[in-house]
Amino acid sequence: MKRLFPWAVLLVFASVPLWLNDPYLLNAFITTGVFIVAAMSLNLLLGYTGQLSLGHVAFFGIGAYTSALVSLGFDVELLFGIRVVHEPWPVWSGFIIGTLVAGLFGYLVGKLSFRVRDAYFVIVSISFAEVTRLVALNWVELTQGPLALTSIPPLTLGLPGIGYFDFYSKQSNYYLVLGVLVISYVIISRLVKSRIGRAMVALKENESLAVSVGIDVTRYLVLAAVISAGMAGAAGSLYAHYLKIIDPDVFLFLYTITMVIMVVTGGKGTLAGPIVGGLIFGFIPVIARSFAAPEVQWILYGAFMILILFVLPQGIVPAIEKWFGVSNEADEARQNTPSSAKTQDAS
Amino acid sequence: MVEFGQHIINMLILGSTYALLGIGLTLIFGIMRIVNFAHGELYAFGAYFVYLAAMMLGINFFIALLLAIVAGCLMGALIEVTLLRPMRNADIDTTMLVMIGAMIIMQNTEQFIWGGVGKSVNTPFPQAPLQVGPFFLSWLSLFVFFAALGLIGATYLLINRTKLGKAMRATFQDRDTASLMGVNVQAIYMATFAIGSALAAAAGALLGAVYVITPQMGNLAALKSFAIVILGGLGSIGGATIGGFILALAEEMGAGYVSSGYRDAMGFLIIIAVLLFRPTGLFARKERIG
Amino acid sequence: MMEKSLNKLATIAAAAVLAAGWTASAGAQTIKIGVNEPLTGPFAASGTYVVNGAKIAADQINAAGGLLGKKLELVIEDNKSNPTEAAAVAEKLITADKVPVIMGAWGSSLTLAVMPKLMEYKVPMLVETSSSGKITTSGNPYVFRTSPPSSLEAAAFKEIFPKLNIKKVDFLVINNDWGRGAAEDFGKMLKEHGVKVGYVETMDQAAQDMSAQLSKIRASDSDTIMVTTAVEQLTLVLKQAAALGIKKRIVTTGGSQNPDQLIEQAGDAANGSYHLTTFAPWVPDATPDPAATKYFLAEWEKRGHKFAGATESFRGYDGIRTVAEAIKKAGKAEPEAITKAFWQVDFTGLNGKIKFNKQGPEGRESGQSRPDVYLIHIENGKVTLPKL
Repeated sequence: MKRLFPWAVLLVFASVPLWLNDPYLLNAFITTGVFIVAAMSLNLLLGYTGQLSLGHVAFFGIGAYTSALVSLGFDVELLFGIRVVHEPWPVWSGFIIGTLVAGLFGYLVGKLSFRVRDAYFVIVSISFAEVTRLVALNWVELTQGPLALTSIPPLTLGLPGIGYFDFYSKQSNYYLVLGVLVISYVIISRLVKSRIGRAMVALKENESLAVSVGIDVTRYLVLAAVISAGMAGAAGSLYAHYLKIIDPDVFLFLYTITMVIMVVTGGKGTLAGPIVGGLIFGFIPVIARSFAAPEVQWILYGAFMILILFVLPQGIVPAIEKWFGVSNEADEARQNTPSSAKTQDAS
Repeated sequence: MVEFGQHIINMLILGSTYALLGIGLTLIFGIMRIVNFAHGELYAFGAYFVYLAAMMLGINFFIALLLAIVAGCLMGALIEVTLLRPMRNADIDTTMLVMIGAMIIMQNTEQFIWGGVGKSVNTPFPQAPLQVGPFFLSWLSLFVFFAALGLIGATYLLINRTKLGKAMRATFQDRDTASLMGVNVQAIYMATFAIGSALAAAAGALLGAVYVITPQMGNLAALKSFAIVILGGLGSIGGATIGGFILALAEEMGAGYVSSGYRDAMGFLIIIAVLLFRPTGLFARKERIG
Repeated sequence: MMEKSLNKLATIAAAAVLAAGWTASAGAQTIKIGVNEPLTGPFAASGTYVVNGAKIAADQINAAGGLLGKKLELVIEDNKSNPTEAAAVAEKLITADKVPVIMGAWGSSLTLAVMPKLMEYKVPMLVETSSSGKITTSGNPYVFRTSPPSSLEAAAFKEIFPKLNIKKVDFLVINNDWGRGAAEDFGKMLKEHGVKVGYVETMDQAAQDMSAQLSKIRASDSDTIMVTTAVEQLTLVLKQAAALGIKKRIVTTGGSQNPDQLIEQAGDAANGSYHLTTFAPWVPDATPDPAATKYFLAEWEKRGHKFAGATESFRGYDGIRTVAEAIKKAGKAEPEAITKAFWQVDFTGLNGKIKFNKQGPEGRESGQSRPDVYLIHIENGKVTLPKL
C-alpha cells in the first residue's frame, strides 16, 4: 500500500491534461510545477542540511539566463579586448549547460559561504542573489539588461531516427515539467537514503557530534549545495523556455519566499513536503484572484503563511503522517530536536 | 576636489540615517535572535504616520515626528505580543518566516489604505539649500543628520546607563541566568522589540519628509539595514552605527567613481567580502551589546 | 514525427475548444475587453490610474448605447508588477474569460511577457504605456501600441531642442528598458545634431537617494540634464538637485512625469524644469480634440480622482476608445476580426491621431501610432506651454 501510493499520485497527475481542458489552470499547473522543482532543490539544503538560503532564486535565475543565452547565442567583449561569440546551440544543450552552470555557482557559493551559519548565512545568500540580479541588470551586452531576453525558443528534444519534438503546447510542457519533477524526486530520495544523506542529517541534528565522528562538514554541505543549485538551475531553464522571455525580474526576492514557504508548509526534510506545499501556494493566488481585491489577495497570502507556521510549524506532511501513525524513512530526516537549543549555542 | 567633498557630505547625511535604521534591527537580533523582515515596514509605518499627522490632521511637524516614534513603539509591542510571543520557542528560521508574512501583510495594507501614489510631507525648513563654500546641503538634511545622531546617542545611553538597559544586556548574555536572577525576560523582549520598532519608525518619519512615501519604501530599507547590521556585527550598536557610514561611503564612492548601475551592489559586495574574511562582522563583540 | 503531429493536433484541438468558446460567448449580452495592469507592487500607482481612465471610456461608451448593440464590460486583472503573473493573467483573460481583445500591460517587461501568449491564442492587445522598441519590432502581428517608444519621442524633440540652446547633456535615467532606451535614442539623436553627450548615469528603480549621481553630474561641464523616470523618483531628483545647488536646465522625457504632482511635492524645486509629455491637460484648447479632453477631465474630477493623475489615466481612456473603435470596425467581437480592424482605426485621441503604422519584419508587422509630443515648462509653480 505504502509502496503503491507515490505511483498512484503520479498516475493522477499524469492524467491531468487528459481531462483538464482549461489552459489557464494548466498554465497554473506548469508554473507551479516549475516552482515545485525549485522548492524541492531548496528542501535539500533547508530540510536535510538545515541551512536556510534566502538567495536560492539566484541559481534559478542563473539557470534561466544560461539556458536562454546558449540557445539564443551572444556576442560579448570581455576585459582586454577578448571577444566571445557564441552561435545558437540546440535548446536541449541549453537546458544541460544551464543546469551545470547553476551547479558550478552552487559549488563556489557553497565553498565560500558555509564558513558562516545561521543568520549570517541567510544574509550572505540574499546578498549573493542581489549581486546576481544587479549583474543581470547592468551587463547589458550579455543579458540585454532590463530590455529582457525575448524570443527564447521552446525546449526541443532530438531523437535519432524519429525526428525531433518541441515542447510548445501546454500539454507537452506539462509532461516535460512533470518528467523533470519526477527525476528530481528520484535523485533526492536516492540521495537522502544514501550514506551521504545520513551524514547530512547527522550534521543538521548535531553538528559538533557529526564532526567528532569524522564527518567532513564542508564537503557534504558543498555537495548538497551543488545538487541543489543545479536542480534550481534546471527549473529556471524550464521557466525561461516556457515563458519565452526573461528579464532581471526573474531574481525577485518574492520567488525565493515562495520556494521557502512551499517547503515549510509541506514539511521540511520530507520528500513529499515541497509537492504538497507547492500545490497549496501555487494555487492560492489562482483561487484568491477569483474573489478578493488585489491587495487583499496578498494579505491573505501572508496571513495563510503565518497561520501555517503557527498551527503546523513542522509542515503538513509530518502532521498527516503523525495523524495516521505512519512512520517511514522521512522520520529520521525530520527535525526533532528543538532548535532553540541550536540558537542558544550560537549566542 | 569639490565633487569629492560633496560626496563626503552626502555620505555623512546618508550614513546617519542608515545607522539609525541599523541599530534598531541589531538590537532586536542581538537580544531576541529574530531576523526582523518587518523592520522595513515599520520604517514605512513611521513615514505614513507623519504624513497622516502632519499633512492630513495638520499637527506640527516636530510633534508629528514624536507621535510617529510613539506609534512605532506601540506597533512593535503589538507585533511582539501577537506574533512573536507565541513563537518564543520556535527556531530562528520559523520566526523569520513569520516576520516575512507580517511584511507582506503590512506592505499590502499600506497599499490598500494609501494607494500606490507617492506622498510627500512638507516641513517648516526653507527649501533653498545651505551653502558653505562650494558645498551644498539642505536644511532638512542637516536636521535629519542631528536628529539621527541624537536618537543613536539616546539609544546608547538607554542600553548602557539605565536599569532597563542593564536587564537587556543581561538577557543578551544569557537568557536563562538573567531569568533566574529575577529579570522578567518576557517584558524585556517586549521592550526590545518596541524600542527597535520605534527606531525604525523614527527613521521612516525623518526620511519620509526627505524622500517620497510609497508602500514599497520598506523593501530597500530592510535590505540596507541587513547589510548595515552584518557589516557591524549582529548585536553591536556601535558596529551598526559605523556600518551605516561604511555602507553610505561605499555607495557614494561606487556611484561617483565606479558605475551608478552598481551603486546598490556595493553594499552587498562588501557584506560578502566582510563575511568571508571576518565572519562575525567588523565589530562584533560576542559578550555584550552597547 | 509521430509526436510532432500529435503535438500539432493538441494545439489545433485547444484552438478549436477556444473558438467554440468565443462563438458561444458571441451570443452573450456583453462585449468583454481584458485589462491586464499592475494594481499591486511597484507600478501599482500608474496601473491604477490607467484602469480608472479605462473605466471612464467604458462608461461613456455604454451610456451612449454600447457597442454593436451590447454593453462593454472590462475584465480587470492585476498582474502584480510581475512578468510571470502578467503572462498568467493574459492566459486567464483569454481562456477563462474569453475576451477577444486585451489592453495592457503597462511596463515593457510585463508587455513582453504577455506577447508570446498573444501569438499562441491569436488575440490582439492594445499597448497603452510600454516604451521598449522591442515590442513593435519583434514580429508580433497582434500588438498595437499607442504610447510612443523613446525613438519617436526623440524624433519629436529634434524639432524642439535647437531653441533651448543645448550644448552638452548628461543623462540620469531609471535603470530599466525605459530609461536605458531613452538615453540611447535621445543620445544618438543629439549627437547627430552636434550636441555633446557626457555622463549616462542610472538609478535603481527603488532608489530614493540620487545625491551621488547628481554630485557627479554637477561637477561636469554640461548645461542640461535629461532625466527619464516615473514621477516619484523625478520628485526626488528635482528636490535633491535643488539641495545640491544645481543650476543646470533639467529636461525630462517619457510622458510619465505628472507635472502637477511634481509642483505639489517638489515645490520650488520643480521651477524652471522642462518636460516632454504626450498630453497637455493644462491647456485643453491646445489638445487635438478639446471637447473630448474637457469631457475626460470633467469626468475624472467628478469621480474624485486627483487632477495630477490625468496625465497617466488618459492612456487607459484612449486605449479603451481605440479598442472600441476597432470592435466597431470589425463588426463582431472576435479576435481575428478585431486584429484586422485595428489597421483601419483612424480617429483623434486626446494626444493626437490614432492610426497604426506598420513596424517590424514584413508580413508580421506590429502597429504603432504616432502621438503628439509637447514640451511644457514649470514656472512659479504653474505649468506653461512655452512658445518656442
